[in-house]
Amino acid sequence: MNAQLDSFKYDDAIVRKFLFATVLWGVVGMLVGVIIALQLVMPNLNFTPWLAFGRLRPLHTNAVIFAFAGNAIFTGVYYSSQRLLKTRMFSDALSAAHFWGWQLIIVAAAVTLPLGITQSKEYAELEWPIDIMIAVVWVIFAVNFFMTVARRRERHIYVAIWFYIASIVTVAILHIFNNLSMPAGLFKSYSLYAGVQDAFMQWWYGHNAVAFFLTTPFLGLMYYFMPKAANRPVFSYRLSILHFWTLVFMYIWAGPHHLHYTALPEWASTLGMIFSVMLWMPSWGGGVNGLLTLRGAWNKVAEDPILKFFVVAVTAYMMSTFEGPMLSVKSVNALAHYTDWIIAHVHTGALGWNGFLTAGMLYWLAPRLFQTKLFSQKLAEVHFWFATFGMILYATAIYSAGVQQGLMWRAFDETGRLQYPDFIETTMKLMPMYWMRALGGTMFLVGMILMAYNLVMTWAKRPAKYEEPVVQAPALVKTPGETVPNIFAGLTIPGHRKWEALPLLFTVWTAVAVIVASLFEIIPTFLIQTNIPTIASVKPYTPLELAGRDIYQREGCFNCHSQMVRPFRYETERFGEYSKPGEFVYDHPFLWGSRRTGPDLAREGGKYNNLWHVNHMAQPRKVTPNSIMPAYPQLLTQKLDFATIQKHVDAMAMLGVPYGDMVKEGAAVEAAKAQAAEVAADIAATDPNYTGLEDKEITALVAYLQRLGVDIKKANEVAAARTTAGGQ
Amino acid sequence: MRLTDVMSHAGLAGYAEFALILFVLAFLGIVWVVFRPGNKPAMDAAARMPIDDESTGTPEEETRS
Repeated sequence: MNAQLDSFKYDDAIVRKFLFATVLWGVVGMLVGVIIALQLVMPNLNFTPWLAFGRLRPLHTNAVIFAFAGNAIFTGVYYSSQRLLKTRMFSDALSAAHFWGWQLIIVAAAVTLPLGITQSKEYAELEWPIDIMIAVVWVIFAVNFFMTVARRRERHIYVAIWFYIASIVTVAILHIFNNLSMPAGLFKSYSLYAGVQDAFMQWWYGHNAVAFFLTTPFLGLMYYFMPKAANRPVFSYRLSILHFWTLVFMYIWAGPHHLHYTALPEWASTLGMIFSVMLWMPSWGGGVNGLLTLRGAWNKVAEDPILKFFVVAVTAYMMSTFEGPMLSVKSVNALAHYTDWIIAHVHTGALGWNGFLTAGMLYWLAPRLFQTKLFSQKLAEVHFWFATFGMILYATAIYSAGVQQGLMWRAFDETGRLQYPDFIETTMKLMPMYWMRALGGTMFLVGMILMAYNLVMTWAKRPAKYEEPVVQAPALVKTPGETVPNIFAGLTIPGHRKWEALPLLFTVWTAVAVIVASLFEIIPTFLIQTNIPTIASVKPYTPLELAGRDIYQREGCFNCHSQMVRPFRYETERFGEYSKPGEFVYDHPFLWGSRRTGPDLAREGGKYNNLWHVNHMAQPRKVTPNSIMPAYPQLLTQKLDFATIQKHVDAMAMLGVPYGDMVKEGAAVEAAKAQAAEVAADIAATDPNYTGLEDKEITALVAYLQRLGVDIKKANEVAAARTTAGGQ
Repeated sequence: MRLTDVMSHAGLAGYAEFALILFVLAFLGIVWVVFRPGNKPAMDAAARMPIDDESTGTPEEETRS
């Protein structure tokens, strides 16, 4: 019987828009990456507060993850979904709202981050108004996508679409729960969670942002564009389904491996490690599935730059998914954590997997979207080699830097003392590797610029008017009795026909897998009292110290300084007593950090006098020769904003921090001014050159730094009374 | 009595292991669904979807409806 054929057109205009956004933000994000790489070897490049390392580093990560990779995902999703589902996107208006909304978010990020407006949680730095925008735009995308699925003309939902669905659902859950915060003004908020729980939520989010933003959507793209480019079906469709479900089941558990040997409860850490090691198997199953898709087409790889990009992308995926589980093993992690090894691991994944897959996809799409031949195949080849050597240079340099510094931190001499007691000694050793990294990053950026040029020139050769071919496909017949074998036969929802119910059922299952796994870790962290014993001597920060902490966050100090001493002798010898979970119960947000470009500050309080800190902030290299820290002389002249202190203290009090009478109107400001006068008087007494600092930002920052780790020293009378931080 | 008291005394030492077993069972279920005999034609057809998607209604689709 001849079916009734529906005629329709695909919306490729939206795909073209996302393609250009991908290229533009890719170049911008990687340019910022090169700038911050150079700042690490030439600290004088931190010439304005807006472009200092601490503020630019989050801009780099946000730009490459959410702007470059995000737009790349949308490019591929909008192109492939329409074709796999045999329907135009549900609504052109929603597509446009998604596109422009996402670009607006990126612009908002590019403006606010250099201004120091940040939540200071990695990859979740954007403040609450932008977070709300992200949630709204994500919902627009989700509605558009799911309605497209609902209106499809293809019964079976190809595995790439499964990966997209899982990504959309999970990213929404992660984004919402990690960004719950108490606003204390339009551009300031405090995380709803404190200390250990905040750290746990952050890395539950952080790790799964890698999983469900940088992995699963790109796997969907791999399962669509690799068969396309190789012109042969995926090696094993069954393996791809297994790959999907095992990833969804396992990834969500792995977050705690970012917090090994910290104050996180040991059981959570072990659970994270076990699931991370198990993740190796599905990841490699998927990687092998991708590579074997090229079976019988390997001869093409030598000639076709697109396949070259795909092969390196999948190889990088396999390398980083081998390395990830390895790094999650506690003993390996003890060496690698806080070093550049992690940065190298991230870049193998981001440059190799996301960067190369995106490049291959864009080169494949360009001639089809612009309806002309690619401007230069040769230039694409040149891009490939620039990118490959750039990535290798970057990775090898930074792996060496990480292992070297990790080993130096833990080295003892024959007398049992630290062999390199000065932190700066270990930093200086990295400089040649940092130069090599800057060179590798520059090469990768040059490759990106070549691609941008190639794609723009291809676009320039487009026809005067794009052809919009009419596609025909039979509508899905809404009567029972279809004969198509359904791999989920028997798993129907009552009241729905099989093919209608499948996406709903599937989405529910994915959400259940993600939520159940999350709750298995989150509930005990929040609700079992012994996980976070409180310490009686740990008190909230004073209003001035809180203001100093806000400045610490604004300047992005946490990007280079940890506040978490691990329970190793080489750490306690260098920094002081190891950190306890109860020390952080008033830390909204936690500021444990993830990389020690500079030394740990958890025990900084009382190590030096106030004047030392003032001098160090004004001229770091005068105090510590060869320091690579940016200078912050402006803190000595910028006035402290006393007017916001009360609002900030009130917000913290609403989160349960026991501020007592400080919440009375004006009380916090008064207390802050009194403490500032004391600190400023002490500085002026030590060095008469520094007068009039009592209303300057430096005073608040010094007060905060001098408080770090002080309470625990009074804690010999550790409280027996134990309450959970969940009740705070 | 607060929820934290209940949770703290619930004896959840085997919590993680229980979760692991739960997920292994789910995994085995998926393996069965994916690899059960009789699914091969559907799988092979699905695998070809990206290759076939530029066409305008394949003969196979026409026979479906």
